Amino acid sequence: MISDSLEARDVILARLRRALAGPRSVFREPPAPAAKPAIPSAVTRADGDRRSLAKIFGEKLEAIDGSYEIVEDAADVRRRVLELLKEWPSQDRQTEEGPEARAVLSWAPRALPIEDLRPTLADAGIALVVPEDLHDDHTRAGAARLTVGLTGVDAAFASTGSMVLASSRGRSRAASLLPLRHLAIVPMSRIYENFEAWLAELRQEERLHSLLRVSGQIVFITGPSKSADIELNLTLGVHGPRFVHALIYDDAW
Amino acid sequence: MVDTLYPGVGLAAASLLRRSGADVVFPDGQTCCGQPALNAGYRNDARRVARHFVDIFHPPLDDGTIDAIVAPSGSCVAMVKHQYPRLFEDDDPYRRRAIEIGDVTYELTQYLADYLGFAPGDARYAGKITYHPCCHLLRELGIDAQPRQLLAKIQDAELVELPDAEECCGFGGVFAIKNAEISTAMGRRKAKNLAASGADVVALCDVSCMTHLNGIRARDGYSCRAVHVAELLAGSPESEPADQEPADEEYPDAG
Amino acid sequence: MPVDVAAPYAVRVRQALADDALRAALDRATEHLRDRRAQAVAAVDFHRLRDQTRAARCYAIEHLPDLLEQLEGNLIANGCQVHWARDAAEAVGTVLDIAGVHSVSDVVKSKSMVTEEIGLNDALQRSGIDVVETDLGEFIVQLAGEPPSHIITPVIHKRIEDISALFGEKLGTPPTTDPAELCAAARRELRSEFLVADMGISGCNFAIAETGTICVVTNEGNGRMVTSLPPVYVAIVGIEKVVRRVEDAVLLWQAASRSATGQDVSVYFSLCSGPRRRGDADGPDEMHVILLDNGRSRILERRYGDAALCIRCGACINVCPVYREIGGHTYGRTPYSGPIGAVITPLLEYDPRAARELPFASSLCGACRDVCPAKIDLPRLLLDLRSDLVERRASPIGERAAVRAYASFVRRPALYRVLASAARRFARFARALPPLRTWARTRELPRFAPQRFADLWRERRDDGTGSDEE
Repeated sequence: MISDSLEARDVILARLRRALAGPRSVFREPPAPAAKPAIPSAVTRADGDRRSLAKIFGEKLEAIDGSYEIVEDAADVRRRVLELLKEWPSQDRQTEEGPEARAVLSWAPRALPIEDLRPTLADAGIALVVPEDLHDDHTRAGAARLTVGLTGVDAAFASTGSMVLASSRGRSRAASLLPLRHLAIVPMSRIYENFEAWLAELRQEERLHSLLRVSGQIVFITGPSKSADIELNLTLGVHGPRFVHALIYDDAW
Repeated sequence: MVDTLYPGVGLAAASLLRRSGADVVFPDGQTCCGQPALNAGYRNDARRVARHFVDIFHPPLDDGTIDAIVAPSGSCVAMVKHQYPRLFEDDDPYRRRAIEIGDVTYELTQYLADYLGFAPGDARYAGKITYHPCCHLLRELGIDAQPRQLLAKIQDAELVELPDAEECCGFGGVFAIKNAEISTAMGRRKAKNLAASGADVVALCDVSCMTHLNGIRARDGYSCRAVHVAELLAGSPESEPADQEPADEEYPDAG
Repeated sequence: MPVDVAAPYAVRVRQALADDALRAALDRATEHLRDRRAQAVAAVDFHRLRDQTRAARCYAIEHLPDLLEQLEGNLIANGCQVHWARDAAEAVGTVLDIAGVHSVSDVVKSKSMVTEEIGLNDALQRSGIDVVETDLGEFIVQLAGEPPSHIITPVIHKRIEDISALFGEKLGTPPTTDPAELCAAARRELRSEFLVADMGISGCNFAIAETGTICVVTNEGNGRMVTSLPPVYVAIVGIEKVVRRVEDAVLLWQAASRSATGQDVSVYFSLCSGPRRRGDADGPDEMHVILLDNGRSRILERRYGDAALCIRCGACINVCPVYREIGGHTYGRTPYSGPIGAVITPLLEYDPRAARELPFASSLCGACRDVCPAKIDLPRLLLDLRSDLVERRASPIGERAAVRAYASFVRRPALYRVLASAARRFARFARALPPLRTWARTRELPRFAPQRFADLWRERRDDGTGSDEE
C-alpha cells in the first residue's frame, strides 16, 4: 500500500507538471486585485470604539439566530453565567434532551478569560465538567448528557457575528459542539472588525502558522447549528448547539 | 434564417438604419455565420463557414466601403465577436481579419441606440409590448438597455414587464433538437410568463428564439406572439402574418 | 415516478419532465437559493470578491504540483498520514486498508461529493462496514437509497411528506409536516451514531498548503463531529482543492458561502491540522489525508483548466434553467449536476455514456457564467467538450453528414441560392428529416417566406424603393 501510494504520488505530480508546462494549458493567473476585506466594517479596532464593535458583533450574531448581552466586567460575567445556568434548565425541559442543570461542560478554568468562575458556580451547586479524554466511553457518555457548554473565544468578528475557537489542552471541541446550548464568554479586546483584520494582525506578528499548527483544529462558529435541507425550511440545532449566546464584557477594566 | 424565413426582419432593419442616417449595403454572397456548426461541436466546419464570412466582409471593411457590420441577431453578433477569434489559431491570417471584423460588428438595436441616435419616426403599436432579453444578447454582448430604450419610443404602445425575463426561452441551437423535450418545457415556462405579463406581443432581438417561441405558440395556442424588435420599430406590415402554421396545413415548411 | 439514475438519459429526461411534484420542488428550491444568493452578493463588492476568488484559485492551479508537495510536507509535519490515489479504486482501497488496520465497523461521514464520485459507501458496505451519512439531506437520501440530487442541498427533490413517510418507515417516527420534528428525529438518531463511530470520513473544501490544513465547511455541525469524535479521521481531498495561504481559504469560504446559500459565511468552518495534540480531550488519534486525482490531472492536460477552479458552491446549478426542469438525478449516477456537472462528469469519466450526453444538456444561456464566483466560462467549456466529441468521431453519422452539407452550401453562395429556393419548394419533404421531425413533435416549424431577403433587397434597390424615405 505504501509503495503504491508513492508510485501514485510520482505519477500524479509528473502528470500535473507535464500538463501545466504544455502549450494546451490555456490557464493563466490574472493579476490579483489588492487585498480588501470581503465585508468591510463601519467601525474598526483602530477607532478604539470597542463598545460599538461589540454591539455590531452582537447584533450580527442575533441576526443569524444567536443572542448576546454586553456587561461591564468580570464580576458581571460570573453573576450572569450563574443566572443563565439557573434560568435555562426550566426552558429546556420542553426539549427532547433531559436537562442536567447541576453541571456544565466547560473549558478548563485557566482557559476561560475570567477567574474564579468555578468557585462561584460551586457555591451554587453547579459543577464545571472539564473532560480529560473524550475517547473514554464513560467520560463521553457523561459529557453527552450535559446541555450547556461554556467556552472562551480566541477572536470574534463584528462583520459576521463569528467566533474562532482553537482546540488545545483544557479547551475541548465538545464544549462548543455537543450541548444544546453554547455559552461563549467574549472579552471585548478579542473582537475584530472582520476576518481579514485578524488574519493581517496574526500574519504581521508571525503567529498565524503557529495558531493553526499548534492546535489540532480551529473552528469558526457563526451562530447556531442550522439546516435548510428539508424543503429549505430553516431548522436550528441539527447536530451542534441550537442556542449560541455571547456574553461580552469589557476586559479593559 | 432572416434571408429565407424572415425577410421582413431584414427589410425592417435596413429601413431603420437608413432612417437613422446610415448607408446600407448588403454584400452579395453572405449566408450564415457558422454558429449552428460550432454549437453542435463541429469546429472545423464552423471555421470553414467563418472563413467564408470573413472573405465576404473583410474586403469592403478593408477598402473603406463599409464602417460597420450590423446584424439583427444578438446571437450571430456574439458568434462573430467572441467565437471567431477562438476558432482561428494564432498564426492563421484569418484570425487578425476576424478580430478586425468583430471590432466593428454590432447588434442592430445597439447600433441604432448607441451610434446612430435612432429617431422614432412614426412607429406605432396599439397594444401591450413586453421584452424578452435573448441570452447571447444580454450576457455575451451586455445589451439590454438599448432595445428597451427603442421600444419605449413606439407610440401608443404600453410596455409591460415580463416575469423572470432573463430566463432562457429554451432554444439554445442544437439543444432545441437534441434535448427537444427540455427545450420545449423551458419554452412553455416562458409562455406562462408571457401570459402573466399580459402583453400582446413579446419583442426580441433574435429570430431563432422567436421561431422557437412562435413554434410553441402555434402548437399550444397561447396568445402572446414573438416579434422582432426591428419589425415593431419599423411598423412594418410584414410582422402581421401568422408565420407558423399548424402541422396539417398544405405547406408545412421547414427551417 | 422518481427518476431512475441507472436508466438511459432519454428515459431519465422523460421521467423528470413527467414528475410535476419534482419540478414544483425544484422551482421553489432553486428560486429561494437564487434570491438568497442575489441578496448576499449585492451586499458586498462582489466584482472584487470574484476577482480575488479567481486569482486565488488560478494561483493554486498554476502552482498545483508545488503546492501539493508543500501541503504533503506540512500535513506530515503536523502528524497526518498522507496517501496518494490515482483513481477511485486506489482511494477506496486506501480507506479499506485504514479501516482494516483499526478493525473499523462504524463509519460516520459528512457530506462529500468526492466520496460519491468514488463510490465509497458501496465499497465500505460490501466489506461489512456500516456507513452513516450525517448531513441531514444526505442522511435522508441514504435512507431512501438514492444518490444526492444537488451538491449543496442533496434532498432538494423531496417534499416534506415524502421525508415524513420515509422516516416513519425507517425510523418509526410518527407522520409530521413539521421540519423541526423531523430534524429532531435525525439529531437523536445521528447523535448516537457519532458517539459510537470508530472512523470519521469527510471531503475537503480547501487544503491550505502553507500550514498543512484541511478545511471542512458545514452548517449543521456534522463536519465538526466527524472530524472530532471518532478515533480515526480520513479526509479525501481532490488534488485541485489546495490553496496557497490561510487568507485564500478564508476568502474562498466567504465567496462559496454567499454563492451557495446566501449566507455571509457558513455556520462552521473547521480547520483541521492533524490529530489531537498531547493533552487534548478530543479530536482523532490518527488523521489520514488521501490526495485523489481520478481524472483531475487529465482536466489540466486538456484545455479544461478552468473547470479545476470550481469551489463547488452550486450557484451555477441554482440558476440553470435546464437543471430546474430536470433536477440532479437526470444527470445520471454522477453526484455533480447542473452546468458544472455537465462539464466535469465527462472529464472525470465518471460514466462514459454521460460524456456523450451531458455536454449537450445545456442551452448555453450563460446564466451560470454570470454567477460563478470563480468566473468559470462554463458555456465555453461545454462547447469545447462538444467539439472534442466530434473530433473523436463520437457523434452520429447522419449528424456529421448534415453539418458537413450545411457548411458546404453556406460557403457557396450560388449553391446556397439554388438550395434555398429548392428547399421552399420541397419543404414538405424536408419536414421528414430527423431534426425537423424532432422539432415538430412539440413545436410548429416556421414557413419559408415567399421571397428571400436577398431577392427582395435587390428588387427594392433596383426599383428605388429600398428606403422608406425615398
